[in-house]
Amino acid sequence: MVSPLVLLGTPLGMAFLLGMLQNRWRFASYGITLLTMTCMSLFSADWVLGFASGSLVATDFSTAGAPPPFAISLRMSLTEASLILLVNLAGLFSTLYLKEELLRIGRRGMAVLLIDIMALCGIILTRDIFNLFVFFELVVISTGGLVLLSDDQRAPSAGFKYLIVSQLISVLLLIGIIFAYHSTGTLNIDGMAAASLGLLKGGALAFFLILIAVISELKPFPANGWALDIYESAHPAFSAIFSAAASSAALFAVAKLLPMGGESWLPVVSSIGLVSFLAANLFALCQENDRRLLGYSSIAQTGLVLVVIGQQDILGERYLFIAGGILLAHAVAKAGLYWLSGLLSNRHLTAWTVLRQSPLLLFAFISFIALLVGLPPFPGFYAKWELVHLLAQEGRLAILGLVLLGALVEAGYLFRWFGKVVKRSDGGEEAAVFSVAPIKTLVVFAAVAGGWSLGYLWGQLSLFDNILHTIPVLFALGFLLLERFPVWLKNSLAIVGLVSYYLISYPAYDPMQLIFGTVILIGGGVILLASYSVSGRRMGFYPSAMLMFAGLSLLIEAKDSFHFFVAWELLTIGSYFLILRGKQSEPHALSYLVFSLGGAFLILAGFALAAEGVELFPLSSLSQVTADKAPWVFILLAVGFMTKTASVGLHIWLPGAHAEAETDVSPMVSGILLKAGLYGLVVLLLGMGKQQLYGVELTHVMLWIGALSALLGNLMAVFQEDAKRLLAYSSIGQMGYALFGLALMNHLGWLMALMFVINHYIYKSMLFLSVGGVAKRTGTRLMYQMGGLITLMPLSFIAVLIGIIAVSGVPPLSGFGGRWIFYNAILTAEYRLPIILIFLAGPIAFLYLFRLIHTLFLGQLKDEHRQIKEAPFWLIVPQMIFVACLMAFALVPGVALRRFDLYLNQFFPQGGLNWEGVSITSQFGYWSPVSIMVVVMVIFASLLGWLIFVNRKAQKVKQFNMVFAAERPYRPETTHFAWNFFAPYKKALGFLIQPLATRFWGMVMDLLHTSADLTRRFYTGNGQTYAIHLLAFVVVVYLFSMGSL
Amino acid sequence: MVLIVMSTGFLLILMGLYGSLTNRNILRMIVSFTVTNTGVNLVLISVGYMPGRTAPILDETVAVSEVAQRIIDPVPQALVLTAIVIGVGVTALMLAYAYRLYETKGTLDISQFTELKW
Amino acid sequence: MIKRFFVLALLFAMGLLFTDLLLSYTPDTELNSTALYYANHTAKDLGAANIVTAIIVSYRGLDTLGEVTVLFLSAAILVLVLPKGWRRGKRKPRILPSTGELLGTGSHLLVPLILLLGVYLFVNGHLTPGGGFQGGAIIASAALLLLLTNPLQPFSRHLFSVVESIAGLCFVVIGLLGIVYAGGFLDNRLLPIGQLGELFSAGTMPILYSLIGLKVGAEFSSMLINLSETKDS
Repeated sequence: MVSPLVLLGTPLGMAFLLGMLQNRWRFASYGITLLTMTCMSLFSADWVLGFASGSLVATDFSTAGAPPPFAISLRMSLTEASLILLVNLAGLFSTLYLKEELLRIGRRGMAVLLIDIMALCGIILTRDIFNLFVFFELVVISTGGLVLLSDDQRAPSAGFKYLIVSQLISVLLLIGIIFAYHSTGTLNIDGMAAASLGLLKGGALAFFLILIAVISELKPFPANGWALDIYESAHPAFSAIFSAAASSAALFAVAKLLPMGGESWLPVVSSIGLVSFLAANLFALCQENDRRLLGYSSIAQTGLVLVVIGQQDILGERYLFIAGGILLAHAVAKAGLYWLSGLLSNRHLTAWTVLRQSPLLLFAFISFIALLVGLPPFPGFYAKWELVHLLAQEGRLAILGLVLLGALVEAGYLFRWFGKVVKRSDGGEEAAVFSVAPIKTLVVFAAVAGGWSLGYLWGQLSLFDNILHTIPVLFALGFLLLERFPVWLKNSLAIVGLVSYYLISYPAYDPMQLIFGTVILIGGGVILLASYSVSGRRMGFYPSAMLMFAGLSLLIEAKDSFHFFVAWELLTIGSYFLILRGKQSEPHALSYLVFSLGGAFLILAGFALAAEGVELFPLSSLSQVTADKAPWVFILLAVGFMTKTASVGLHIWLPGAHAEAETDVSPMVSGILLKAGLYGLVVLLLGMGKQQLYGVELTHVMLWIGALSALLGNLMAVFQEDAKRLLAYSSIGQMGYALFGLALMNHLGWLMALMFVINHYIYKSMLFLSVGGVAKRTGTRLMYQMGGLITLMPLSFIAVLIGIIAVSGVPPLSGFGGRWIFYNAILTAEYRLPIILIFLAGPIAFLYLFRLIHTLFLGQLKDEHRQIKEAPFWLIVPQMIFVACLMAFALVPGVALRRFDLYLNQFFPQGGLNWEGVSITSQFGYWSPVSIMVVVMVIFASLLGWLIFVNRKAQKVKQFNMVFAAERPYRPETTHFAWNFFAPYKKALGFLIQPLATRFWGMVMDLLHTSADLTRRFYTGNGQTYAIHLLAFVVVVYLFSMGSL
Repeated sequence: MVLIVMSTGFLLILMGLYGSLTNRNILRMIVSFTVTNTGVNLVLISVGYMPGRTAPILDETVAVSEVAQRIIDPVPQALVLTAIVIGVGVTALMLAYAYRLYETKGTLDISQFTELKW
Repeated sequence: MIKRFFVLALLFAMGLLFTDLLLSYTPDTELNSTALYYANHTAKDLGAANIVTAIIVSYRGLDTLGEVTVLFLSAAILVLVLPKGWRRGKRKPRILPSTGELLGTGSHLLVPLILLLGVYLFVNGHLTPGGGFQGGAIIASAALLLLLTNPLQPFSRHLFSVVESIAGLCFVVIGLLGIVYAGGFLDNRLLPIGQLGELFSAGTMPILYSLIGLKVGAEFSSMLINLSETKDS
């Protein structure tokens, strides 16, 4: 091991050496710099390995041969070693990245860079408070120099603003230090902590000054205008150091100093962090400049770590795991993003669209964003999980809520950015230039590799399993390596993977899991057959789709809340990527993601509240949640799951997301993904049963929500012009039925809900596929632009016909069975009004289904559609499979339902069905699928025969054998019969489908944006004003903390 | 005595801060900051002072044996030296920046350098 | 106006904070433990008569290393900050009024004396008031005097940078040698501590302080020269 003093001395000596060299020996100077950085990184890595292997213990290194309080001492432990490794690696890679600039600017610039890195290490290592000040000043001055590496003309003014602010900071720090010294008689941080500085006369004030000065280096809101200007104008490689290394060092300094003041200061730190986290994320919403946005995000992340530091009293031994997870993820991601931004010439967010030219860089980009947001399998995910649990355990719910809120906003703007990058057009003439300097690209990938290895490491260190060890996740990630291969190969692999996973795991499933598992894995495989119709490579589709299926299959296998939540997040991300692939889907995918993550955070909070400190909380323990918390847990989880099932009020993401998705994606996200929400509700209701809050039966509320969703979803579907949107809205209604059934909390209600799981999968997938096929051939999804396709696309017609018969619940298909069970179920329940609503929803469903088949396949054929063919073969195949399934399921529903009926007996012993023979009996009557089928077939056949008989002499008429009126319509489509098909109903019922929810959520978004846009204007850009902000910040914190201490 | 020096130091700090936060001219701001720094240094050395004692240097008047009773606290003096030097370094840097800013815009008014904002 | 009022209000609050500090301050009557240690151990262990010097060069030598690094940084960055091309001599040679007989002669008389004083101060830093920083600053004042006399004074920039770099390097090397051959980084007992009060005593302390003096002198001088050349460009 190399002494930490050598770690500080070597770069310093090399910097002095650089000062001596000739100006023209540029390459030699660069070589020395690079070599020094490499050595430093290796030395610190050596330390980290030493501590990680357990062969070393934390050691103090004193200087000058005198014991620590009297001479400056340095400390080295695992934390310090990891942080200096981070700092040195940031320095090393930035040096590589800065090759051109450093060679241009010469040896002085390199010396400054070396000293900057050295000083950051010094901040981390030193245990002497005045020494800390010296290193901080070194960082300030070297920052003042490195800002000039940028060729941005505005950089000097940003540097000067920083110098002004740093003058103020050093005044505070010096006065604080000297009075702290006076109070305790030592300059050693540990000595001051031992003398409990915060409790001495005048010591609290001195500590306040020290603390506030060091915190100000963290760019807290509102004293951070200067930092944003630096982030925006400095060279990205320096911003990477400034964000990743400097913030980490300063954060560590805060953590190091806090024991001096005592625990009473922790809330102050938390509050400052929380305010910064929220404010910076809010302001970032309005940013169009990439580097400034990253600056805001840096400030936010630093604030979050500050919150963690402030909560260390309750985090116990997980403190380092949590703080380190968030901090390292942030550092790696932010450094990576800044390095990435250096490859682009244009500073607008949309300029990043050029990344699409390189799938690898796009992968890097999304990896960084996932790291920042804290998605699995990255360290931030584990850290957030544990943080939220510990906060909930200690009842710090306000902090919990605000942290999750801030995280949601952050995810919102980061994924909005990602959406823009993936979907926007290149911007024509202003298209950004995209440099492919190999070294710079390499540096970016180093960060990607770092991020993924951190994810693996944190998975190993976590209290739970490593997400990267689960087979489905690995299977999904494996498709990243196969991106170069053609679709047919990947598709076959995917189907084989899904089916074989099902074959391996289904023996272990209980009937409930079996139903969901079959729909997910086998159902997914059938839908994937449609994907053979796509040619080429289809980059990005398979990793996303398999990630979604991985999440879904893990979800139904989850035994405890952690695995459940991991699966939930995985399926959310995977489906987001899938939905984003649609042509016009950018805004819809975003709203899907924001709602889903919002729902996920509610679920997280619910689990955390329920767990009460249990590390691995089994889902079966939901029934043992204490009575005072149970209703709240129930509400959080239920709302979270209902976000996924798109219950009314939380539904606005669904229509766009499902309608704009690709042809084979729509059935996946509609037919399969929605079931995840239902599964969650099943788990919740089985675990917690009926809950009451202030005397209100919560399942009764769900019943109402289900009924309203069914009614309004169907109603909204009626008035759509877009065929896929119609189907999407109809899903809201269908999920409403299922929710209603579950909320009935009786045997038949559940049976019906489960039947819906199967039915809805089959017919919604089928309808989406056939409508998708039609849309593919006609080039439109608007129903008034189609018509008369029955002769050209007969197979699609059959699929739709069968589908709507099934959906509308008329005999003989399985929809009728569903209805039959359903009516039996509500007859046993005593809720009258919601039952009326749900009855009403039935005929409405028939209206939109009728419209669908009428306007697409019947009526007049459009002239431009005369040449079109039947939908592609591979789209038809799964549809025909579905038709067969529907028939079979209609004939022998017992195959699937009987086992399940028996299974339900253990939860709801009353009111089961009798499955004897071919007919099924309940207390109200019987249902005989086979005889119904026979009866209907006979009627159908005789009617058909009669029709053929009476029409045998009918004459064919040409389509345009008619007279046009002398009217010239301004919007020709309005004259089509399919336009505004149900106008009279709209007049009567339109008031019910006012887009209230859309308006409400739109207002929330507007409010957020406007307030962010207004308040960020207080960063006037004037350096003096920034200094005043800092002073005001100090005064406000002073007044608050003195008042509260 | 000590309190007088200390309050003078604090007063200088406040005066310097007032100057640097109200003057728009960059050079005036820098000068105000040097006033502030002087104030800080004054506060720093006043903390180590003890009435009736002498400088912490061993010579004819201060014998090695009675040094603990005769000298004032040497630590603040060492610190203030460091603080002064660092102050000089930052001031030099700020002056150079002032020159650079003047070169780009032809003005020393801090409120003119606001291209970066929001 | 609002701004001024706001600033005044903030400063008033800061004043309150300072008053708070002032009122809670009670001067020590006895040396605290740290100072006591220095008082009792400096002469015995390190052999330095000037305790402040012992603290600066040895006990808190890492601070001092940082301090000279600050100056090194400032000098280096100064060159970076000042706009490119200002020293290429592209502009017209400056025509300056004569500085006058008095200043010219006076400076010739004074510069050697000033240099001597500076060197004396840092060589004796461990014994008497003064030291590397003070001595270095005085040496730089000689450079300032020369610049005032003749702003076009040709200085060898390279000499300055070599001096400051070698001094800095030696500082670091001596410090690191302390880890190997003595008690720790910058331990002055690398060399024998000798007799208290003599010039060659206190181990490496006078050497280090002289290095600091040279380094500071060179850095201040080069800063002054760089700043002076911005004039009139």
